Amino acid sequence: MLLLGMSILYSPLYSQTYYELKGTVVDENNSPLIGASVLLNPVKKGTTTNHSGDFRINKLSEGKYYIKIQFIGYQILTDTIAFVRNKKYKFQLDISTHSLQEVVVTYDYAEARKKEEALQIEIVNEDYLKQNLGGSLMGSLERLSGVSTIDIGSGQSKPVIRGLGFNRVVVVENNIKHEAQQWGADHGLEIDQYAVNNIEVIKGPASLMYGSDAIGGIIDVKNRKPPVENSFGGTIDLSGKTNNDFLGTSLSLFGRKKWFFADFRVTFLDYGDYKVPTDSVDIYSYRAVLHKNRLRNSAGKEQNFHFSFGIIRKQFQSKFYLSNVNSKNGFFANAHGLEPRNVDSDLHDKSSRDIQYPRQKVNHFKVINHSFYQWEKLKLEFDIGFQRNFRQEWSQYVQHGYMPALFPDTLDFNPELERQFEKFVYSGNVKLFYQLTDKTHFNLGLNTEFQDNQIDGRGFIIPAYRQFTLGGFVFMKHHFSDKSLAQAGVRYDYGNITTYNYKDWFRSPNIENPDTNTQFLERSGNINRHFSNIIWSIGYNYNVNKWSYKVNFGKSFRMPIAKELGANGVNYHRFSYEVGNPELSPEISYQFDAGLEHNAEKFAIGVTPFLNYFSNYIYLNPTAKHDRLYGNGNQVFNYTQSRVLRYGTELYAHYNFSKSLQIGIIGEYVYSEQMSGKKKGFTLPFAPPPSGIFNIKYQKQKIKFVENAYVSIDFRITTPQNNIVPPEEKTDGYQLVNLGIGGKFVFNNQAISISIQVQNLFNTKYFNHTSYYRLINVPEAGRNFIVNISIPFSGKTKQE
Amino acid sequence: MILFSCEDDKEIDTQKPEIDTTIPNAFPANCTDTIYFGEPFTLNLKFTDNVELGSFSLDIHHNFDHHSHSTEFVECHLNAKKIPVNPYVLIETHDIPTGQSEYVTNLPITIPTSNDEGQLFDKGDYHFDIRITDKEGWSTHFGMGIKMMHR
Repeated sequence: MLLLGMSILYSPLYSQTYYELKGTVVDENNSPLIGASVLLNPVKKGTTTNHSGDFRINKLSEGKYYIKIQFIGYQILTDTIAFVRNKKYKFQLDISTHSLQEVVVTYDYAEARKKEEALQIEIVNEDYLKQNLGGSLMGSLERLSGVSTIDIGSGQSKPVIRGLGFNRVVVVENNIKHEAQQWGADHGLEIDQYAVNNIEVIKGPASLMYGSDAIGGIIDVKNRKPPVENSFGGTIDLSGKTNNDFLGTSLSLFGRKKWFFADFRVTFLDYGDYKVPTDSVDIYSYRAVLHKNRLRNSAGKEQNFHFSFGIIRKQFQSKFYLSNVNSKNGFFANAHGLEPRNVDSDLHDKSSRDIQYPRQKVNHFKVINHSFYQWEKLKLEFDIGFQRNFRQEWSQYVQHGYMPALFPDTLDFNPELERQFEKFVYSGNVKLFYQLTDKTHFNLGLNTEFQDNQIDGRGFIIPAYRQFTLGGFVFMKHHFSDKSLAQAGVRYDYGNITTYNYKDWFRSPNIENPDTNTQFLERSGNINRHFSNIIWSIGYNYNVNKWSYKVNFGKSFRMPIAKELGANGVNYHRFSYEVGNPELSPEISYQFDAGLEHNAEKFAIGVTPFLNYFSNYIYLNPTAKHDRLYGNGNQVFNYTQSRVLRYGTELYAHYNFSKSLQIGIIGEYVYSEQMSGKKKGFTLPFAPPPSGIFNIKYQKQKIKFVENAYVSIDFRITTPQNNIVPPEEKTDGYQLVNLGIGGKFVFNNQAISISIQVQNLFNTKYFNHTSYYRLINVPEAGRNFIVNISIPFSGKTKQE
Repeated sequence: MILFSCEDDKEIDTQKPEIDTTIPNAFPANCTDTIYFGEPFTLNLKFTDNVELGSFSLDIHHNFDHHSHSTEFVECHLNAKKIPVNPYVLIETHDIPTGQSEYVTNLPITIPTSNDEGQLFDKGDYHFDIRITDKEGWSTHFGMGIKMMHR
């Protein structure tokens, strides 16, 4: 027997004739159900539960009411309430049987969450990811306004929020900050998108809760919630894509006895070289001819496993998450980075699925424990995490600069190992939620992290380093009324970073000083820096009827990373000699966010502008200089700091012609300008151009045996990006049409969800301004048919 | 709103510098010229920029393994692949006098015949790369295939 418990209290309000109905909706684990819909008849007053599962309906006179509470995955609760003083109600109800595997995130949840948060957020669930399945997790999220990606190839992309990316966006998985080599543009995010249950994207500075690096925003990834008591089940996902002959499968199994649960998943992905709508690619003036439109050597594969288990008691939960994400993928063979390469076309074109040089291998291992104790007004949470990120880049040994023509056999690394990074990350969080009164909540927390990053391989780009951070915050939320709430918080951070000495493994001739004929150049010294900072944020939400207004003002910061402090090597992928600056100060950013949204049954519109100022943005500045000795003749790029002003907005609107037919528009715009320094007047690198999506969607709850059937057409318009900074190229605008169709087919209680997409329907040749391959004129992927089939199964075990 | 008023007070330069290889006596030329060890030659190319030039660098390295391609459309005729023994490497950086939007290199260079130990440099296919920048940091890369021989 599964329970949905609910208690209802009432209290007199205003005068003796009016009452307020208050209640809490919780699930069988005593966890609040956020976003459950509550409707009171015959007065037709409705609301949704907030983050604590609470709801209130006021201005009720004495009498008899019918209450209806709905939450996806649970049976609808209906009951009659007669207002009598000091009486409490308790309800028990069954969870709906054929929906044990249902997603808990609903539109209502997202709406309720948005009303509670002063920053702009987007929440998507598993269904959304499958309906918009891209080459990687970020590829699937790219449709969201204010979210873009920096891509390399078909299976790798990095998040960008309102034009900020790399170390300015934090990715959190199961409450622990995902730590890899975020600074690099040539690899993606090591997260298995099949294992994601829901994602919350916070657009704006969220350093308060997550510390340094969350200056641009957060991608908060949550794995599946524990299943309900005495149940078992699973899902088989099958995906296919025509463009790169992608085959993917993900199998998950879960089960729960009374208080113990386990959840297991394996994912296998395998894809070939992707096709572009062109016969050749112009790398500078050199024309690389493609074989059958395929981007030579862009194939890849991925094998991931996840295992989570834990115990769930009324007041205590402890969950362990183990995962290993392993990928191997090739880079376009005709150019290593931006350097045109001769290739053995016979070798490469023999198979479109083989992965030759250059290529990378990434393995990300994670263990996380998340536990909490919960009392009536107090919740204490602990997160502990260990991660190991291991990444290798392999390519043919090529003599660059003063490297020897033949690789000496006296060294302890493979000559074909270009770069290797091995990072160990230990993290911990303690959080305390305290409900002072019904209206005032406190949230206190401590986050700490230790990183140990080791390097290897023939190329030097960042020094080995160790980094320790510790931060503490207090955050308060106060409801003045049902409609209005304010939140404020303050945080202190301390950070320490130590980089380690590195010397070249080969000698360079010192022409300037003939006494020392040749030497092993020191690339990086032992830098030791300490940082500390106080940041704050204050916000206000006002929700009335169909309108919601929000404002937020905050300061956030980011500690310089090892590369920014200690780089001193040639990045042969970009022909840049990148020089760090050990004296950099932490980036400080001030941001004002606003939101104005109207959400009615037929029509919704929202605009969410922001204004952001960095007093010292860390920027890799391409200079007019070349350097011989340390730079091997390459252009000097210096890390500098400048004042930066950014502003922009997202915009959305939709109109429902009928229950089934909706048209909508989503748009995004960001402007950035450097206000000081060597590039005064220029924008920032990887600036996403303004873009918009016009959408028509037809959906029906049920057509014969198909539930939630939909057909959707997206017409995407991206304007040209002429606002560039060296070494970027201006990028033309483009228009794309994407189609989506799908639904849940139900036969005898067995559901099969099918989502079909056609991306780039007209096989349009276009360039993405924020793609790694943009500078060597590689267009984006051509037409792609994508199918995802999801087969859930579940059952209930007998109760002992 | 004061924050926004400071736009457009500076014209943004978004043009890269250019390398002109068609001037009279331009040297070297992609796929056609040979540089002889021990003999002087004059680097003769014209650089232009819409505002002001920055600096340039020269890089000569072997292509005995045919590893990389020039930046140009034309495929040079390459000798058979071979293993380098003592290949020649030249890396030089040069500033361009300030205030120039046009600059002809006219730079005499002599390549030695052997290394300090007296071992002759390998003859064969080499790459001659030129990289130029303008004052804003825009860059242009021009890679040529040449032959280097002993006379």
